Amino acid sequence: MNNQSNTLGWRRQRSTNIAAFIFLLPVFLLLTVFIFYPIVDSFAISTYRWNGITADRTFVGLSNWGKLVGDREFWFAFRNNIMIMVMSIIIQIPIGLAEATFIEFAGRKAAICKVLWFIPMLMSSVAIGFLFNYALAANGGMISAVSKLFGGGNIDLLGNKNTALVTVIFVIAWQFIPFYMVYCMAAYTNVSEDVYEAAVIDGATKSQYFRRIALPLLAPSLKSAAILSMVGSLKYFDLIYVMTGGGPGTATELMATYMYKNSFVQFNMGYGSAVAAGMFILITGLSLVTMRVINGKKEV
Amino acid sequence: MKKRMKKITAIGMAVLMGMSVTACGAGDGAASQDTGETTGTPADSAVETTGNETETPADSDSDSGNKVITFWNTGTEGADKEMYELAINQFHEKSQSGYTIENIPTQNDKYKEKLVIAMSSGECPDMYSTWSGGPMNEYIDSGYAQPLDDLYEKYGLKERFMEGALEQASYNGQIYAVPVKNISIAGIYYNKDLFEQYNVSVPTTVSELEAACDTFLANGIIPFTLANGPKWTGSMYFQCLATRKGGIEPFQTAAAGDGSFEDECFVYAGKKIQEWVNKGYFPEGFNSMSSDDGQANAFFYTEEAAMYLTGSWATASFKTDSEDAGNDFYSKVGWFTFPAVDGSDADTSILCGTMGDQFISFNCTGDKLDVAFEFITYLSSDETIEHMVAAGQIPPIVGVDDMITDPVSKSIIDAANKASAVQLWYDQYLNPTVANAHLDGNQEVFGLTMTPEEANQKMQAAQAEYLSGK
Repeated sequence: MNNQSNTLGWRRQRSTNIAAFIFLLPVFLLLTVFIFYPIVDSFAISTYRWNGITADRTFVGLSNWGKLVGDREFWFAFRNNIMIMVMSIIIQIPIGLAEATFIEFAGRKAAICKVLWFIPMLMSSVAIGFLFNYALAANGGMISAVSKLFGGGNIDLLGNKNTALVTVIFVIAWQFIPFYMVYCMAAYTNVSEDVYEAAVIDGATKSQYFRRIALPLLAPSLKSAAILSMVGSLKYFDLIYVMTGGGPGTATELMATYMYKNSFVQFNMGYGSAVAAGMFILITGLSLVTMRVINGKKEV
Repeated sequence: MKKRMKKITAIGMAVLMGMSVTACGAGDGAASQDTGETTGTPADSAVETTGNETETPADSDSDSGNKVITFWNTGTEGADKEMYELAINQFHEKSQSGYTIENIPTQNDKYKEKLVIAMSSGECPDMYSTWSGGPMNEYIDSGYAQPLDDLYEKYGLKERFMEGALEQASYNGQIYAVPVKNISIAGIYYNKDLFEQYNVSVPTTVSELEAACDTFLANGIIPFTLANGPKWTGSMYFQCLATRKGGIEPFQTAAAGDGSFEDECFVYAGKKIQEWVNKGYFPEGFNSMSSDDGQANAFFYTEEAAMYLTGSWATASFKTDSEDAGNDFYSKVGWFTFPAVDGSDADTSILCGTMGDQFISFNCTGDKLDVAFEFITYLSSDETIEHMVAAGQIPPIVGVDDMITDPVSKSIIDAANKASAVQLWYDQYLNPTVANAHLDGNQEVFGLTMTPEEANQKMQAAQAEYLSGK
């Protein structure tokens, strides 16, 4: 009896394994071709001096890496990434949460808000970039027009080294707040209706319910939202590329735009790959540390 | 056990998210460039090139044996587009070769990167235009261009193009490209009406130019229109000022490694630029304006700005834009070369710019190359040249002076004929890394966030690094 059931169990296990293997194979192949191989290759290319188009490349060992570690422009770009990361988490998630909470509390009446607030998410980054380039133009842009209305002069936000990055951060926030709104709305649906009713019966006000009950229940989702935002900010590229190209000067240079410039504008594919590989290490490291810090108490 | 699993999953997740960076990070760049021709992301493109290490790019192409010649250029609109299309139509009508030309224009500021991505993924077009200089040398070094001396002889084109133009198309003593488009030199376009109205005459020295600017400023007119978002636009001021101050020598020696970009004439150029910015000679917000959007042209067209320092390709734009708008703006446009720096004995006939603007190189061999070059004969046929001249362009063809009646083009070709030397645009002439250091620094000089000395220092440092790695 025992033996037989073991065999049955074993058989079932084996067929499950085969099914799992078959289902995982396509994903694994795609990941290998498009993710794992390029990453390994990036690391490999980073040991060469190569202009990116010629067939012969010169092996230079770790000299690209040595240069990267001492490259002030790269670390300045990294600092910009960190700025975007911190500001994104501070701005985007709370506003997204506030919007989701409003929609949650207002119910059907707020359907129109749901639609309107979601619209930025539907636009492509490039379109948003152009849109805001015109809206923020020093001549005839919205901000300048408002400033003129109150007797001020033209304001050039994107052309000024000191304001360009902050301006772009706000545009990025505009683009991604809807994402976190939807994210939080989804998290709200996981909070059981019973909990809400119980709280109301116990005499909790809406703000009490939000602070004492909903927020703690949403916390895990918010944590993963923060990590998503973090990774997204560290590898950010498109809006910066369209809006400022890293300028004025190098004021809004990010790691990704720096990598791009090195690889495709300056014919420095070897060093560009070193930058890409450096980004990979930095981002993975930062994500691991952050996850550790955020989840630390529970895990240990 | 469960906790352990969770941890492993967490680590796995983090690694995955990080990974998507290297892959997607690079992929994004390509995606924003590609319009469909190149399908590989840069990351896996590297794979292809390494796989074919022994095979030169040109070989793989001619073997395919298709009868389509792909031709990449920047003629997305206006006179350029018309010119290419006209030549292609002539080719399709008259050529016996059976080949067809597939014309793929891409917008100016995106073009260079798109070309590099195409080359790195082994998708280099059969013919492509470049601005010559540093990048062209990279393409040639990498085997994406063919020497053309024999074909020039065969089709008798050597005598047809101006010598200076062929010189800029040459590399190590061989001709690798065809100068097709336009004698494009930096000069100042001005609004004759405004000059007359405020009693300003064409300046011959920088101090006269400044006096003129002050007059315009006092009357609420912007002296110079400029859109310095793409950076090379502001670079022209730097080049012109430095050349007028110190002549062609300081730059040539610095670029060759014998001199330095910290030379006095470059400091002078940067300081003058900052002085002009402080005085308000440029429109507000110029450092974030884009020239591709026509934001600089707009000030000139609406007569809010009196002068426009740019390359002489602008003549054609002014002409067609004026015609399209149905006004007589074009008749108000005049042109003069950059005025002399007071107290400098530098040769004032020297010009900054290019004798061809666009140079077509070929990435094909054998018959295909021959046919592709045959296409060039249509691009420089009398019919095409006449069309180009009528559109306000000055193709680098011997004897083009006689065909030109347009007063603006006339003054440009006169200056070009008189020039003792033409310095190719700094940002084209230099190695791309050095050029980028120059463009970034110069934009900051314009933005008053970097001193001229600092910017020049950075440029020199980039040059030193380039030379040391050579």
